[in-house]
Amino acid sequence: MVTAAGTAFLPRERLDALLDLLREGGRTVIGPTVRDGMPVLGEIATVADLPAGWRDEQSPGRYRLSDGHGDRVFDIVNGQMSWKQFTFPPRQKVGEMNRFAVDGSISFQPSAPDPPRLAFLGVRACELAALGIHDRVLAGGTFVDEDYRARRDAALVVAVQCTRSASGCFCTSMGTGPEVRTGHDLVLTELDDGFVVDAGSPAGERLLARLPGRLATPGEEAAASAAVAATRAAIGDPVATDGLRDRLMDQLDSPRWGQVADRCLACTNCTMVCPTCFCTSTSISSDLGGAVNVTERGWDSCFNPGFARVAGGNFRPKREDRYRQWLTHKFATWIDQFGTSGCVGCGRCVTWCPVGIDVREELAAIAPPALPAERPFIRPAAATPGRFEITTLRASHPETPDTATLTLVPTEPVLLAGLPGQFVMVDMPGFPAFPISVSRYAHDHLLLTVRGAGPATAALLNTPVGGQVGLRGPLGTGWPIDRALGRDVVIVAGGIGLAPLRPVVDALLADRGRFGKILLAYGARTPADRLFTGELTAWTDRGVEVLQIVDRSGPGWAGRVGVVTNLLDHRDFASRPTVAFVCGPERMMQATTSVLRDAGVSRERLFVSLERHMQCGIGLCGHCQMGPFFVCRDGPVFTLTELGALFTREGV
Amino acid sequence: MVATRLPRVGVVKLASCDGCQLTLLDLEDELLAIGQRFDIVEFPEATSRRSMGPYDVLLVEGSVSTPEQAEQIVDLRARTKRLVTIGACATAGGIQALRNWSNEPEWRASVYPRPEEVESLATSTPIAEHVTVDAELRGCPIDPHQLLELLTALRIGRRPQLPDEAVCAECKRLGRICVLVAGGTACLGPVTQVGCGALCPAYLRGCYACFGPRDAANTNSLAGWLARDRTEAEVDRLFAGFTGYAPAFREASRRAVEAMQPAARRRRTKGKAT
Repeated sequence: MVTAAGTAFLPRERLDALLDLLREGGRTVIGPTVRDGMPVLGEIATVADLPAGWRDEQSPGRYRLSDGHGDRVFDIVNGQMSWKQFTFPPRQKVGEMNRFAVDGSISFQPSAPDPPRLAFLGVRACELAALGIHDRVLAGGTFVDEDYRARRDAALVVAVQCTRSASGCFCTSMGTGPEVRTGHDLVLTELDDGFVVDAGSPAGERLLARLPGRLATPGEEAAASAAVAATRAAIGDPVATDGLRDRLMDQLDSPRWGQVADRCLACTNCTMVCPTCFCTSTSISSDLGGAVNVTERGWDSCFNPGFARVAGGNFRPKREDRYRQWLTHKFATWIDQFGTSGCVGCGRCVTWCPVGIDVREELAAIAPPALPAERPFIRPAAATPGRFEITTLRASHPETPDTATLTLVPTEPVLLAGLPGQFVMVDMPGFPAFPISVSRYAHDHLLLTVRGAGPATAALLNTPVGGQVGLRGPLGTGWPIDRALGRDVVIVAGGIGLAPLRPVVDALLADRGRFGKILLAYGARTPADRLFTGELTAWTDRGVEVLQIVDRSGPGWAGRVGVVTNLLDHRDFASRPTVAFVCGPERMMQATTSVLRDAGVSRERLFVSLERHMQCGIGLCGHCQMGPFFVCRDGPVFTLTELGALFTREGV
Repeated sequence: MVATRLPRVGVVKLASCDGCQLTLLDLEDELLAIGQRFDIVEFPEATSRRSMGPYDVLLVEGSVSTPEQAEQIVDLRARTKRLVTIGACATAGGIQALRNWSNEPEWRASVYPRPEEVESLATSTPIAEHVTVDAELRGCPIDPHQLLELLTALRIGRRPQLPDEAVCAECKRLGRICVLVAGGTACLGPVTQVGCGALCPAYLRGCYACFGPRDAANTNSLAGWLARDRTEAEVDRLFAGFTGYAPAFREASRRAVEAMQPAARRRRTKGKAT
């Protein structure tokens, strides 16, 4: 937005001047601050009250703050409570009703709005959108909440564009951010040495004209835009919103409502921290004689059992009724009532749910998009069939009688930037190219674990140290490690299926604290057929529960004999959100996923990796087509939900 | 207005510490008004006046812990129009209900030099397991505002406003930051009935559920989540507290004990099945 004053730059050391301007006329400045180690919105009396160097780390059901991250003051993406607490207070006196003892007559005194003069500092794009929604809901209809309108009119709004995001963020999907577009008086974008400042209203322009500093340079403006663009890219597009209203309303009988209700505590946290939830109840406090009666309005929640109760019964008696009410109102019927979604994608309901229920996941499960959502696609180094990158074989380590792990050193670094579960196409002179999963990424090499199943793989295994191999990739989709954040993880591998799963273990252990319990169940034909035997013990020491079983015993084997599903007997994954990654022969995956489903892992959290005939690896040659998918491009990792009836069906 | 007879109120106790009755005396600013609008005919903590009833309202503190109390509560009920239980002991069995999980003759012999002279039931149970209860105030101790609201509602003739919502709702309205999500502190707030004003989280402590479980509390889900970072023994200890004998918490504790290793389970149950 170009203003009369132009885009300004406020050096970091002059931030106090902005606070002084905001305080004029007796305003109190409210902004992010840290109290008792907790993130709150409170009075900013001096610049020192702003949380310099503090950052948040969020995952479903978990929030942590840490400091020491430099000088920036707006690096906490958001905290528990939104600005709603100032525009729509949690408790508010509505009025008094009195009865006079002398003649029994009664009188009413409604409370008159008496808004505090506040300046909100650090309002994010999603929060501006939330205020805009409240403007419609509370002050845009036939009847107006006078107290709300007075508070809104009395407040100055200084927005801050997001240069960081949290794991719960999905403003990009809801169309509310991270760019600040409307609803603010001023907007800041924080750079290392100061703030790029723009005005968004006449009041803001008047402030901007009096702000010390100078015009921002084109370089500073570009840096600000780039930082916000990077935030947008980091968030991605986690929720498919096209047709969401209709998809959701078509699913009033989905069995998923009951499943999420098994986890939901109906504790009301999601609605209390939501910046748009506006439901209230009134309570009366009377003196013992009933002469003086003060009526108060307080935040209530559709999750409370009494919220829809009448004298004859309860319209929403079950927890699943109440979860459905909340979700369908927020994402569907809100649109019918107010013309916009009721969700701004701030992610608070995800982070502050005490048991980590992720609304994005529930939406995808209850009302999946009609077509599989477009997956982010990482363009490989050599995306054209026929163009391979040269790698050099540094070492070959035998794993089993027929399997070895090859250390390959590429010159093209993108080969090392793959995801767990991705594969490469291997090409050697004289053989058709074939796919092999990457079994580990390291700083200067990658590992391929190869079983000599045919002539081409045998030739690869016979490559001498120092010999060259062509690779193209990494290709396909990987195991979505981010879906496991804050959750328990079950990894089930059969035989060589452990190879594409090893990078999963690597990724989980690299960030161990962010995941729950990790269980690895590994089955092999014989003890001698087991891969990575040395590492299995090391993983145990690092907090992975490793269980092993073999079909047939062998020399020195004192462990269990049987099939891999035996390792999962009597396990209960229903009570804790659990993600499962399964790889092995298709029949083994069929049996395993069936056991995991019975043990409480839901279909959209059950990931399998499929094997198909692949030649091009990029969805052009047609070999690996299966239903709506090209397994090489759309997979090889899929959820059971995506695969539906295609999974393990013969002949498709 | 027509002068009517004041409602006759009694305050009695069974097995308890007297803390809940004293909450009535803590209502210092209201005591005079209460005295003007109720005829307090029985309240040993405050007056030597004694009554055999009948009572319009009887506030009952404490659990049933002896054979004598089991008979006494039936007798009191027969002389009472509205019986209101007050506090964790009366509504859930209290902290003394921890003995319900243990072998009664064994601990009796280990505590008392002449156990045969102690008259005690094997269990401590809430009043509602013995007689019909018309209303209850939760807490250890009860909340003075809720007590005043109950008395006011009785006097005016309306339903008392005793919300059945989680402690979380009050925490959020007070702007307190969640100790469970942001601090990793074990907190039973999500499954506990509000009424305390979210006292413990204000001091960055987890709620230990002295107000007992909410209606249809989903303890199974919360216990599963808490067990991610805790042993089953720790989860059991969380639920088996001041209101541990309330059915929803008893069930959560039972599940945790079942999931324990055998040795820990034996220590916990001392040979008695849960």
